[in-house]
Amino acid sequence: MTKLYRRSHFARWRAAALLCISLTAAASFPALASAEDKPLVIVRDIDINSLDPARAWCDTCQIYLSNVYETLIGLGTDNKSLVPRLATKWEANADQSQFTFTLDPDAKFSDGSPVEAKDVKWSMERLKNVKGDASFMMDAVRSIEAKDAKTVVVTLTGPNSEFLNILTAPYTGVANSVEASANGAAAGEDAATADKGEAWFLAHSAGSGPYMLAEYKPGDVLRFKANPNYKRSAVAIGDIVIKHTKDAVAQAQMLQSGGADIAMQIDPDTAKTISGGELSVETVPSYNFLYVALSPGAKDGGKLASKEVRQAIGYALDYDGIIEFTVGGQGKKIPVAIPNGFPGTDGLPEPKQDLAKAKELMAKAGAADGFEINATFPNMNAYGVDLSLLIQKVQQDLDKINVKLKLTPVEFSVWRDQVRGDGIPLTTVFFAPDYYGSAQYVQYFGMMEGTPWWKRAGGATDASITNAKTAELLTKVLAAGDAEKPAIYKEIAQTMIDDRIIIPVVSPDLVLAHAKSVTGLRYSACCNLLMNELGLK
Amino acid sequence: MTRYIIRRLIAMPFLLLGIITIAFFISHNTRGDPLISIIGERQMENPDVVAAAKARWGLDKSLPEQYAIYVGNLTTGDFGTSLRTKRPVAQDLLDRLPATLELVIAAMLAGSLTGIVLGVIAARFRDSGIDHLARLWALIGSSTPVFWSGLILLYVFSVALGWLPGPGRLNARTLPPETITGFLTIDSLLSGNLQLFRESLYHLILPALVLGWTVMGIVSRLVRVSMLDVLSQDYIVAARARGARELRVLFNHALRNAMIPTLTIIGFTFAYLITGAVLTETIFSWPGIGSYAVDAARNLDYPAIMGVTIVGGMAFLLSNLLTDIAYAFADPRIRLR
Repeated sequence: MTKLYRRSHFARWRAAALLCISLTAAASFPALASAEDKPLVIVRDIDINSLDPARAWCDTCQIYLSNVYETLIGLGTDNKSLVPRLATKWEANADQSQFTFTLDPDAKFSDGSPVEAKDVKWSMERLKNVKGDASFMMDAVRSIEAKDAKTVVVTLTGPNSEFLNILTAPYTGVANSVEASANGAAAGEDAATADKGEAWFLAHSAGSGPYMLAEYKPGDVLRFKANPNYKRSAVAIGDIVIKHTKDAVAQAQMLQSGGADIAMQIDPDTAKTISGGELSVETVPSYNFLYVALSPGAKDGGKLASKEVRQAIGYALDYDGIIEFTVGGQGKKIPVAIPNGFPGTDGLPEPKQDLAKAKELMAKAGAADGFEINATFPNMNAYGVDLSLLIQKVQQDLDKINVKLKLTPVEFSVWRDQVRGDGIPLTTVFFAPDYYGSAQYVQYFGMMEGTPWWKRAGGATDASITNAKTAELLTKVLAAGDAEKPAIYKEIAQTMIDDRIIIPVVSPDLVLAHAKSVTGLRYSACCNLLMNELGLK
Repeated sequence: MTRYIIRRLIAMPFLLLGIITIAFFISHNTRGDPLISIIGERQMENPDVVAAAKARWGLDKSLPEQYAIYVGNLTTGDFGTSLRTKRPVAQDLLDRLPATLELVIAAMLAGSLTGIVLGVIAARFRDSGIDHLARLWALIGSSTPVFWSGLILLYVFSVALGWLPGPGRLNARTLPPETITGFLTIDSLLSGNLQLFRESLYHLILPALVLGWTVMGIVSRLVRVSMLDVLSQDYIVAARARGARELRVLFNHALRNAMIPTLTIIGFTFAYLITGAVLTETIFSWPGIGSYAVDAARNLDYPAIMGVTIVGGMAFLLSNLLTDIAYAFADPRIRLR
């Protein structure tokens, strides 16, 4: 009886299962969408903190601003030369303290109104006065004058031969002052409190670049549509979508399944798993780098006050091993905290491990028995490098000269708190360029009064940290002409290497993974990705 | 029962205020600097920029002042502005909650139903091959990390076989329907777009299965244990002796009595997943509350942390209430007073 019943019971289940399968088949699930007539899809971790050109500060912001808000000057495809954008020509006075720009007479904002000198003046003043992240780029500006509708004169507080390079940074993009002002944006000296434009910029754009904002949903999607009033070059793709995909493996899967055309943050290990005749994976050198930072002024960092000890640490690191261990060999050594290829870096000696010299220097400093120091680091992945892996390799290397690291992984917010508070004797972190130019690195990493790492290293309390020569050379280079600059920057780089406060360890290569149908994809030092250069075969 | 429900609803705002107060002071006293969400590393050394940011976001005020302002604003429905997205937190939550609910409801339906059926079958065929298989399947479901199963299933069904789509609620090339409820399946139906409905359903399958597998593992094991207990009771023997059909014995007599602990765990799991489906949301690029919560916590985005806390608190309070009500339906002997 039971058996009979059970058979009947399962017969019904079988019937139900068959019905489900039939219904499923009948539902005819849609095929994966083809690329034809559809937007180009880019997958990356959307790290946007704002879409307001005066307040934004992130990698995705660089992409957004570069493609929506044109700058006065652009960066050529060689990632070095300055090329006209909104400004068709420019000239500097003899000491590089005043610059005159002539605007493109045909340039128009996306609403069709002409780009005028008043918009340039307003945008630059707003960038300076809202006191956002990129406001330091306008620190050197004393005044901006709109001489006529198409001529702008910028006067600096002193010579600055890098000012033109600064103007290639996407954060200096020009916005439609009339439209933005009508929606709460302010540029006056009280803009830090009076400006209410950010909410409007999150849903609208007011630039003259090749694209306009179509939609932004934080943590989900950023959509662009072509600006019909952009005439500087042909725009091949009408709609572009950046889809938030945090994980590198998921990005690779999206690319392989045809759900995406470009994956922007594939690490070298994941790149090896990408296969398929329709996909292209290439690695190119990047301008991003990771470094070890030593802070003699930090709590319990006293032994690092000895330059010999710092130099010994520099010699103890196995740079080739670090690159192999962290990015599978897909990276470059970097002699100084200025990206390879930037002014002053040509011909600098590559760093290399020399344990004998490291031990000799430790002995000379009276520290042959070694010491233990705290090494708090942000527990994160930056540009494909897992910082915990990196610092473990540093720990192994320094163990050979009896320097013991006490590793403490923390959230980035906690790391920032600590590095600015009691300080961290030894840490690792990362840096990426905002534009092509070396002065920004000297002003951030150089041991000159007031720079962030001078403060963290203890420059305020230990006079030996300050390197007067760096400051002197920086003043000289900012007033120098193009021909003299590389040699002076090289001298500056040498002073930074000698200080041994910042020890760069790897410049990870960038993986460009995309469908072969995509053309024109390249890495830009100022702008990350220029969408108007993209095309579809 | 109505009086009981009204009493519980009246108590909710007070409970929520308690949750808000505790969460506010804990989050504001954790190590780390909330300015990380607002100011980049370079400008943190610029006192003018730091002062401007603190003034703009009210971080220059004392903690009690900030608390009073926050609670005052809450009474007007203002959840504050996210330090990270720079948008009103209420808007962020409204954008993301439907995505999470759509995923969690689908996962709970798939996980609970299969879990219950599997638990009943395993109990009915105790110690047989079917029981062992069901228990193994449940064990794998409840112990496999979601990030692993998610990536593997994505690879197999999306990349290798191409049967199911990749991450996201819709194909990235597809424009979403006009937002009415925020549930893409419902909104696409309301807009009469069946193609979009199928696509959104199609995208829901993998994440719901991955999340539901975990739920299924928990539910089936619990149902099995409860069923084994119930199936050994005299009234089950009596029912069988009276010639009741096996399905009726299992589902009407046994399962109903075995459901009380299961309802508790289903209610709790549902509430937990509202804010806790982080890994599934990350792997499937699902723009929900879980990933929002993690980003908020990592960036010390206080207003967003508080917003998520309120949503999570509400989810637990409401699911507890619904579970209590469900008890009364599952077991008529329970009277809610």
